Amino acid sequence: MSSTAVVNRKIEYSESENRNALIAVKAHLILGLAVLLLMMLAGLTMRAVQGTWLEIGADLFYQIMTVHGVGVVGAAGIGSTGVLWYFLRQYVRLSNTIFWINFFVFVAGVVMLLGSIFLGGYGGAWTFLYPLPGKSMGVWSTGAAAVFQLALLIIGTGFLILYLDMGRGILASFGSLSKALGLPQLFGRVPVDTTHPPTVVAGTMVLIVNFLGIAAGAVVLVMGLINLYNPEFQPDALLMKNLIYFFGHVFINATIYASVTAVYELLPRYTGRPWKTSKVFYAAWFAIVFMVMAVYPHHLMMDFPMPRWALIVGQVLSFGSGIPVLVVTGYGALMIVYRSGIQWSTTTKLLFLSMFGWAAGVIPAILDAMVTVNRVFHNTMWVPGHFHFYLLLGLLPMMFGFIYHLTGEGRQGEQPKAADNLGFYAYLIGAFLTSMVFLASGANSIPRRWATHMAEWVTFAQVGTVAAALVVLGMLVFTFRALFSLPKAAEPR
Amino acid sequence: MFNKIKREWLLLAAFVALALPPLRQFLEQSMVTHMLVQIPILAIIGWMIGKSLPANWKNKIASWNQWGITGMALAIVIMTYWMLPRALDAAISEWYFELIKFITIFIMGMSLSLSWPLLHPIAQGVFKLEFWATFMRLGWLYLDLPDRLCANYLLSDQRILGQLLLLGGSAWAIAWVFRIMFGTKIINT
Ligand code: HEM
Ligand SMILES: [Cu+2]
Repeated sequence: MSSTAVVNRKIEYSESENRNALIAVKAHLILGLAVLLLMMLAGLTMRAVQGTWLEIGADLFYQIMTVHGVGVVGAAGIGSTGVLWYFLRQYVRLSNTIFWINFFVFVAGVVMLLGSIFLGGYGGAWTFLYPLPGKSMGVWSTGAAAVFQLALLIIGTGFLILYLDMGRGILASFGSLSKALGLPQLFGRVPVDTTHPPTVVAGTMVLIVNFLGIAAGAVVLVMGLINLYNPEFQPDALLMKNLIYFFGHVFINATIYASVTAVYELLPRYTGRPWKTSKVFYAAWFAIVFMVMAVYPHHLMMDFPMPRWALIVGQVLSFGSGIPVLVVTGYGALMIVYRSGIQWSTTTKLLFLSMFGWAAGVIPAILDAMVTVNRVFHNTMWVPGHFHFYLLLGLLPMMFGFIYHLTGEGRQGEQPKAADNLGFYAYLIGAFLTSMVFLASGANSIPRRWATHMAEWVTFAQVGTVAAALVVLGMLVFTFRALFSLPKAAEPR
Repeated sequence: MFNKIKREWLLLAAFVALALPPLRQFLEQSMVTHMLVQIPILAIIGWMIGKSLPANWKNKIASWNQWGITGMALAIVIMTYWMLPRALDAAISEWYFELIKFITIFIMGMSLSLSWPLLHPIAQGVFKLEFWATFMRLGWLYLDLPDRLCANYLLSDQRILGQLLLLGGSAWAIAWVFRIMFGTKIINT
């Protein structure tokens, strides 16, 4: 079976299946959006505390930091899954039931996380870095740390179920994952088929890396749990750190590769030009499968016992990680929009912004992945600086753009409403400032993860608080828009 | 017909041979052969007997085994129990624990063979990953724990078992990757 034979065959679903699927996708997006809004309020709170405008205990600060980290990563995971699933089900048969199962498993996990943090007092950060969860010096109980890790294990299992269903669907339609990735076309075994859906390529990549990430997580989380209850079992801390960062890095990175399907699918609809896949496109996505998994050692550059070669691989690949897909996507997006007479709506503005945010956010990331720079910037605010940049300005706009698309905005050439414009610019400026203030703080050697800042640093945090308030303002507009327009919106065509 | 009967007798003979002292003591001498040879073979015998049960038995059992849930639950309880080090110790020291081990592991294999095909493919995937992760976790534990887990076995035995589990788990993972990425089946997992 050549991969050309299966393309263009859109999957047929029954009317009621489609209706149910749309509800499920909206549920994912609304949940993701609501959690993100709350977590941004948590971020605002942390900034205000660091800026001395608000006083809370250090315990509570670290609880908030923990809930913020795990909350936004989870929300990005569930939201981007909604985006990917919505588009992927056009090409491969996916089960609504499985999609819902993952959703409710996720909700159950979130309840456990909240309990462990705010009832149990767990504040060891979302990275649950061994041996910290077991060494709280009485700040939180063993049980709280255990529930936190158990919740992550359960959420991971939910996603695992979903990826198995995606894998099953892709294998049924395309025969093997390498065909779905377009590898036979890339290596010239079959002619290039420019209509091979980019969403399938992206979905396959996400499924491969996340499957492996979750497998690593399943091992490391249980080892952590065993240590909590049997402290005489002391696993190698560096091995634990490797596995944890493999899991964490892959999971958060995959959200952007899942959400980018919105760009591939929506820009063509708004410009009337198809997104054509090519050898370069396949090559970029093939490379990223390995890069996303191999770059995590950039988190371990200050761990001198790490094997040298691993750090070198981490550093070299980090230069290029993201670049291949970024380039083909950015270039492709420009080509599609250029002189297409596109009608700018909030949807297209957000999608276009995401290209900028992603591209620009990669620059500080690459800088930090250089050992010489990392020696200075490690664990400074530079780190939150770079990831807030491409998460706030790259990832989230993809999700928001998709939400605006689902509300049907801009369909009949109607202009964006004033409120949407206000939201867009408040968000844009606020997010840009938030990230830049983090970066500037890092450049001034302000450490990350400190509840109390020294007097010299307070001004940075205060500017950061104002910026955060702008983000929240924009986010409020997006959330209201989603809450009021999304539930009743019909399937856009 | 002839073939079928012959195979069941062979399985039974193998079971008896495993239970008789020469082979039993030989395999239980070391933790590695105990856990990686004796117990798996017992389970496989159970699996194969389960496969060759008469169809009307299978049907009767199946009505108690919707989607394979009952059987899997039973198998998991048995498996978890025999993963406890003290359970293995007891099997070596007390004859009645040994008897229970032979019977329950056999039943575990049988219930796996009756339930696995009934499981939803997604559930099969989750179980496979969970089994794989158990290999890796146990391997790691056996390597890193400072103390012996079994009173009857040496620490060095435990270490070798740990390494073998990790090796086996890695081989399994590689086989999967080939299967999933390129559709090549190295082994049927
Ligand atoms: C209004 C928007 C936001 C504000 C004001 C904000 C603020 C903060 C602050 C103050 C920290 C702790 C910095 C420190 O180490 O001292 C932080 C950490 C973090 N933020 Fe945000 N954030 C926002 C949105 C987001 C979003 C949308 C994401 C992801 C999609 C995100 C992901 C993270 C992560 C992963 C951490 C690391 C937590 C840790 O160190 O354990 N943030 N944020
Ligand atoms: Cu990373």
